[in-house]
Amino acid sequence: MAAADSPSAALRRRDLCSRGIRLAGKMRVDVIDLLDAYVERQGLDVSSLDSSVAAVEGVPLAAVERWDEQTGTQRLLENLAAYRAFRALLAQMLEEQREQLGEADAGLGRALASVLLQVSAFAYHLEELLRLESRGVPGEEEEEEGEEEEDRPPPPPRLSIFEQKLRGLGVLRELAQWAVRSARDLRQLSKPSPATGTA
Amino acid sequence: GDPQNLKCVTHNLQEMVCTWDVSSRGRRGQTDFCYTTNDLTPQVCFKTKERRVEMPLPESSSRVTIKSSGTSFPTKEFVIHKKDISFVPVTPRILSLTPDFSTSTLNLKWSDNGSVFPYGLDALWQIQILRKETMEEVTKVIYYSKLTHEDVILSWNWTSDMPLECTSHCVKIRCYINATQFLGPKDWSDWSPAEVIPGKDSEPGGSGVFPLDTVVAVGSDVTFCCVHEEDQHITNMTYGSKPYKMIQLSSRSHAIRVLNASASDTSGTNVVCHLENGMDGTVVFVGYAPDIPQNLSCETSNFFIIKCTWKPGRPSGLYGERKTKYSLFERMSGKNVSCEVNEMNRDRTCGFPVLPDQKTYDFILGVSNPIGQAQSSILVDITQRVHPKTPEKLSVTGSNSTSIQMRWFINGSFAGIWLLCQIEVSSGHSEKKLHNVSMPGGKSSTYTAQVKSLRPYTKYQFRVRCSSADHFWKWSDWSRGVEQTTAEAP
Repeated sequence: MAAADSPSAALRRRDLCSRGIRLAGKMRVDVIDLLDAYVERQGLDVSSLDSSVAAVEGVPLAAVERWDEQTGTQRLLENLAAYRAFRALLAQMLEEQREQLGEADAGLGRALASVLLQVSAFAYHLEELLRLESRGVPGEEEEEEGEEEEDRPPPPPRLSIFEQKLRGLGVLRELAQWAVRSARDLRQLSKPSPATGTA
Repeated sequence: GDPQNLKCVTHNLQEMVCTWDVSSRGRRGQTDFCYTTNDLTPQVCFKTKERRVEMPLPESSSRVTIKSSGTSFPTKEFVIHKKDISFVPVTPRILSLTPDFSTSTLNLKWSDNGSVFPYGLDALWQIQILRKETMEEVTKVIYYSKLTHEDVILSWNWTSDMPLECTSHCVKIRCYINATQFLGPKDWSDWSPAEVIPGKDSEPGGSGVFPLDTVVAVGSDVTFCCVHEEDQHITNMTYGSKPYKMIQLSSRSHAIRVLNASASDTSGTNVVCHLENGMDGTVVFVGYAPDIPQNLSCETSNFFIIKCTWKPGRPSGLYGERKTKYSLFERMSGKNVSCEVNEMNRDRTCGFPVLPDQKTYDFILGVSNPIGQAQSSILVDITQRVHPKTPEKLSVTGSNSTSIQMRWFINGSFAGIWLLCQIEVSSGHSEKKLHNVSMPGGKSSTYTAQVKSLRPYTKYQFRVRCSSADHFWKWSDWSRGVEQTTAEAP
């Protein structure tokens, strides 16, 4: 966090946090609606799927140990990394959805695009908060630059359509969890207590 | 010992192999073997330790003498008549067995070994296909061919009713040659050695549900299988959300058979294999082959683009990368255009460029999707299929008490044809009048006309539509109206 909060910075942070909390709340509602539509449109029988959709590769897990010990900056950085990952995953889902269904399920496509937009907006919001903490925002290019051309992991093998469906389910489920966690993180951040300070 | 049970078999109708037994066991010593195929040829003699000798096939009969060398046993004489010699073709040799996993097809190639046989003999090839760990027979078919005194490579395809990945498939072949001139008994050859296409269930770590992401026609019977790793245990398999009775193919492979599959939803039907700790699955898209396009019609509105429209018929039920694709091929120019079509809206259109100096177009509209294809064709002279665009910028350029001059613009190149335009004149409550005027078509140009016999000091509304004068096809839509009051009488 900033060395000592100036009143305007604290006010600005509280404002950003409360707007972020509202964004997260709206996103969660939309993600849950999308999840229901997704399950139904993809013909998935959720009751029999649980064990396989537990952890889908590449999907950031919302569950975190010692949540209350995290610093504000850690919270923001983890949130930002997660929503950037979700942005990429949702964009891929949208691409696959167009490939598989084309114009046949425009409704699902629109709902997916809307959630993608909200995730992008939320990521930008988190970057705002990090800038407010005069904390450098990790650029996505940095994350990639850190990897040499050869280090960059090879593109994942193309998933089968069923695997795509399961991954989509895993992404939306985990995103709904993240929306809850993000709201809690932002509430934590908006408290004036020292716990919100940086390490 | 005393030679007995002399039997002779020919494999190629040229030589024969004779074998015999010996009455007593005793040490196997040398044998003096002589034969003569007829009275004219000298006797051929040689020694052998074998009880098997190759010799020419006799014209009618052979006289054979067999004597155990250095023993007191008498010489034993045999007469082999042609009718006693059996004909068993050489065991066929499989040259290749090639799987095509995408179509679950096996391609078998073998040589017919025809060079050793006279021209024109009929050959029967029995092909046996076995499957599963227990190598059950799946099918046994007969393939017919005619020998041509040359070695010909024969090829045969077989499509499995289940994906080849599901379990190992094995093929054997034997042959029977219908040598009608041959007097002796004829029989099938031995079976060839088996050729095996291993399934995923014999591949270390092999697993998956098959077929993977396939497309089938509504009403198909489809077999899906779940191949799992050694240490896994399968609990059930569902199609859509309905569990199906499982058929065990091997210790690592189970299958279900779905009969008369019904059309799937847009995202396909999930086939899920539930294992004790996890699951696997695939998706099948069940749809229809494209219908023959109905009411194919082509016209041009501007002599730049020919627009063809048609009714698609029954929806295929396939979307995205599996959706029905359309292409327009013009036979005379050989030009082919692929059409961008939105599967969701009912009417279908495709544009084809008007080609220089070509009036007549012989179109074939090709329609295809992963299940099938269809086509419609139409021969059209585009000068007889002119449907101009709506006239634009209708304006009055001059008027007096009894006449009006007006001008409008039509997008398109109509040079070379005459246009017939109709001006609708209406005023107040009086009856609308239509005023026809013909004019030479221009290249995206403005057209003018004059309307006479109007009443002075009267407000009139005008609008115009046009068509081809030479061969009427369709009127354009009416232009926007324009209003004008004639001048007062002088």
